[in-house]
Amino acid sequence: MRAPMKCTGLLCAGLLVIAAGCSGANSRVATHINQEAALTGNLPYNPLAWKVITSWIDEQNGTMSTLFGNDAAVQYARNNSGHDYPSGAVLAAVTWSQQEDPRWFGAGIPSSPKSVEFVSVIKGADQKPSWSYEKYEGSPLKESSKAEASVPGDRAAWLLAQRAAVMP
Amino acid sequence: MATGSPRAKAVVWIAVLLCIVFIGIQFIRPAIENPPVTAEIQAPPAVKQILRSSCYNCHSDETKLPWYDQVAPAYWLAERDVEKGRMALNFSEIGELSAAQQKGLLFEAINQIQLGVMPLPAYRAIHPGSAVTPEQLEILRAYLHPPAPKQAAPQAQVQAADAQYEAWQHAANAIPAVQPEPNGIAFIPDYKNWRVISSTDRFDNHTMREILGNEIAIKAIAEHRINPWPDGTVFAKVAWAQQPDAQGISHTGAFVQVELMIRDQKKYAATKGWGWGRWRGADLKPYGRDASFAHECVDCHKPVRKNDYVYTAPLAGQGTGGQQ
Repeated sequence: MRAPMKCTGLLCAGLLVIAAGCSGANSRVATHINQEAALTGNLPYNPLAWKVITSWIDEQNGTMSTLFGNDAAVQYARNNSGHDYPSGAVLAAVTWSQQEDPRWFGAGIPSSPKSVEFVSVIKGADQKPSWSYEKYEGSPLKESSKAEASVPGDRAAWLLAQRAAVMP
Repeated sequence: MATGSPRAKAVVWIAVLLCIVFIGIQFIRPAIENPPVTAEIQAPPAVKQILRSSCYNCHSDETKLPWYDQVAPAYWLAERDVEKGRMALNFSEIGELSAAQQKGLLFEAINQIQLGVMPLPAYRAIHPGSAVTPEQLEILRAYLHPPAPKQAAPQAQVQAADAQYEAWQHAANAIPAVQPEPNGIAFIPDYKNWRVISSTDRFDNHTMREILGNEIAIKAIAEHRINPWPDGTVFAKVAWAQQPDAQGISHTGAFVQVELMIRDQKKYAATKGWGWGRWRGADLKPYGRDASFAHECVDCHKPVRKNDYVYTAPLAGQGTGGQQ
């Protein structure tokens, strides 16, 4: 009795090994939405509902950013090489911490959001443009700085100077 | 006497017949030849050792089959695997390719191992010791990804990207005349107005990408219906060269290509329910030489077949609060 049972056990174990090998179940492939990278908190606009202007990667800080714009901003950036956005244009730079792509060694993808920055162009009473800059940080994202001026600050100017990525 | 009964006689005859057939098929042997090694991979011994024990039987000109692979019909399977394996990647000839091409193949190989596709699961089951262990995988990964600080892009590359940008700005409102792929997939110029699903930093080939989705794709993400993706889903993956500035920040440099995946279970049944297309360069030249190019796309996406052949894990939250 003993020997045949042992044999059956071994056979089962062998079949299991083969089945496991063939099914190719791999946790890296499991279907999921990247909830970790979601923009939580109370933002004035949802950049992810907007169109993309360009993106950049800061390897030293382990972050990746995407610059979005509302329709006025995107329309301007894709047709003008200057930095003179029209009144009503809003840019949104979303910066994520980067994580290794579990499905592709050799790639980094967004992890948790680090900051969301908005630059808005507003036309004042005297018809002269002014700029507002707002930064949101933390989890959930909270306003961490806000500035309004007739001349964009350094960071706002840097964001306004990023040219659109070529999308033929 | 048992041997006297007709039934026993029949059993003996069948056994004899099977034996003859078994011996007979041993003579049907397409040869597996080991041509001289011409341009073997140059790699540290620890890396080469792993490739030898896990990959070389099918991916080199130094095939050494164990005795149980020498017996037909197992031999026929082995012969087919070796032929296909060498065609896809041959470590005995890889030295003939450019450094960038070699690197690309190695990254792809490591990804196939990491996703459990290589060595082939059936091969792994029959050949104990051929599976790549987690420790060995770490050795391969470390070999391919030594940390290297980014150098500012060379001036010539920056100038070429600038010229491409200027030309694009001048033609921004014109819809380019773009040829369809040879499999009939047409270019969709509106891709640039779709929402962002994710982005990738492809340091393996120095590109950066935005993955965009049409409205059906965005709705599917909001409703968590992404395996399978519904018919009508279209993804566009846009790639640019990484262009590091003096501060080490990589910007979108020259536009490289845009790729489409179009979901239609019936229409594209032959290519896993997706229509595949790729247009390269600012003039958007179709990639395929003939309709069979799509098999290349499918092969590369096969490791994620359980995820409906999609690599991207989409970001959440494109669907809400679209106020301007």
